[in-house]
Amino acid sequence: MDDSKRDGRDSGEYALKVRDETTRYVKELLDENAKLRGRVSELESELGRFDGEKKTLEQRLSLMEIESRRQLSQFVDVEMQNANVANLYVASFRLHGTLEREEVLAAIREIVINLIGSEELAVFELDGSGAVLRLVSSFGVDEKRWRHVVVGDGIIGRAAQTGDLYVASPGNAAADRAAGEESLTACIPLLLDGKVTGAIAVFRMLEHKRGLEDVDHELFGLLARQAATALYCSSLQERIAAAGLG
Amino acid sequence: MQKKKILLVDDSATALMMEQMVLGKDYDIVVAKDGAEALKVAVAEVPDLILLDVMMPKMGGFEVCRILRNLELTKAIPIILVTTRGEAKNVEAGYASGASDYVTKPINNRELLTKIQRHLGSANGSGNESR
Repeated sequence: MDDSKRDGRDSGEYALKVRDETTRYVKELLDENAKLRGRVSELESELGRFDGEKKTLEQRLSLMEIESRRQLSQFVDVEMQNANVANLYVASFRLHGTLEREEVLAAIREIVINLIGSEELAVFELDGSGAVLRLVSSFGVDEKRWRHVVVGDGIIGRAAQTGDLYVASPGNAAADRAAGEESLTACIPLLLDGKVTGAIAVFRMLEHKRGLEDVDHELFGLLARQAATALYCSSLQERIAAAGLG
Repeated sequence: MQKKKILLVDDSATALMMEQMVLGKDYDIVVAKDGAEALKVAVAEVPDLILLDVMMPKMGGFEVCRILRNLELTKAIPIILVTTRGEAKNVEAGYASGASDYVTKPINNRELLTKIQRHLGSANGSGNESR
């Protein structure tokens, strides 16, 4: 065999070998590619599952946030109710903690100043005729002006006449108010067994107080009934003591 | 852990009772019903904090505050003034007398507790900004 024939055969074998190796290599690549596609598909499916879980967790988180806000709001409400109950308890305790008339009047003043928030107040009792309110205690107001109020006159006189609580608001500015009643915030008729025995006039509120709250209305109601009873009991006690029966 | 001690000073039994109800669970309470008694109790008890009413007969809260600030034993005690007058002029006068803080009447329980905690740390803890 001459050299040229041998070279031709070697080249052919080499070409076949390269072709076979290339074919195998491509096949391997295709196999690997198929595996990777499978893995990508698996990961995409996992990602979808994670997305679902994420959405579920986000929904749960959102529900928990709503629940947390609701509980916080409930906590604030309960705390406020506790504070209000404490206010009412203290007011009631102070009114009925003594039979001394001056102590009862001091308690009324302190409740208005410390719990309601006004340093201008007047406490009246009906005189024997039932036609005139007589000033029995005051704080921060002109005593001469408020020494007497005729029942039926002005807001205070009308509250004593009707037994209805008066609370000032932008909508109920009384046209027929008496002189000095411009700054009146509330007039609380004192009620004993449904009968009016006097009234507490609360004038200007403290400057930083931003208006009346629910507990203030509760305190008005408490004062209307319990202050009247406490004053009545203390007067009775005075009479008993004066008669030498105490 | 020992409770911290607060001196409440007010001539109003209603205010004292209210403050005791709010603070009595977490703090040891001592009370004084006027300025002169407040000075005596503050020196005798050396409380961790004083809640001091401004408007009192004979000796008002500002004067009590000034005296306490000049006494070695009490000069570092945080003093929170309780005032019915929340306007700036009055508040400034309170700080000028040596007060650490103030609250207005009617007292907001949450605000009072927050301010006390600010000066004392938690009721049984050791945090204290003022002393």
